[in-house]
Amino acid sequence: MAIIKPNNNTISAITALPFNAGISMADQWRWTASFTGNAQPITSNWERNDTSFDKIGTGMTESSGIFTFPETGIYIVNTGTIFQLDSNSSYNAIVIRLSTAGGPNNSPIAYGYAHISRVASSTTYSQAVTEAMFDVTNITNFKVAISVSHHDTNTTTKGNSTSNENFTTFTRLGDT
Amino acid sequence: MTEQEWLDYALAKMHNGQWFGWKKDWTGEHRMSYENIIVHDSSITKPTEAEVNAKIQELKDAETARENLKASAKAKLIAGQPLTEEEADTIVL
Repeated sequence: MAIIKPNNNTISAITALPFNAGISMADQWRWTASFTGNAQPITSNWERNDTSFDKIGTGMTESSGIFTFPETGIYIVNTGTIFQLDSNSSYNAIVIRLSTAGGPNNSPIAYGYAHISRVASSTTYSQAVTEAMFDVTNITNFKVAISVSHHDTNTTTKGNSTSNENFTTFTRLGDT
Repeated sequence: MTEQEWLDYALAKMHNGQWFGWKKDWTGEHRMSYENIIVHDSSITKPTEAEVNAKIQELKDAETARENLKASAKAKLIAGQPLTEEEADTIVL
């Protein structure tokens, strides 16, 4: 709000100015079933978190693992997953991939790595997480996908329909 | 792991890739149950419940076997006895 004073120092007008009312868009997705091996990208079983969750704003749109933004702006994307193996895998990667041209081609913009070294002869777990922050200047061309890859492709990437054994969170931080 | 997690894990171990999922309009007590399995890959036939249960048991048995091998390896090491290759793998790998 601005108070405008002309030369005689009396108030002539009170004008409302735009201000940031907080986060205008936040959304969270996950894949609901586990799978074994690489997935570039993860195309199936995506669901919006439905466990005591509600998005803020319009939310993301997903089709075959490709996410579209509801409006331009500065976004941060956080993703992570649990990996499971009864052996050893020197790397298990989760990757945020971004397309800025609208087509199927996208590039990795963030990596998270975790290794599995089997503990006590048992099935062993690890978790990789990563995040990326970028400027979505065009909602038609900017698309995000998530992929996973492993040294040992017998590694299982965990999914669950009632709790977050994996997550992908989209938050709009502000205007472009 | 819970029984639902064993089911999910066993299915994931039957084939590579995202070949299965769970019905969105699921029925029964749990979404992650045999009756709610959907198959995404047209080249794969939905396994029978018996096949899935057999896979779960196979995975559980393998877990138990590895734990037994490690216990055996430890006992032999303490006793100064030679280990089998399988027993050594539970310690070295």
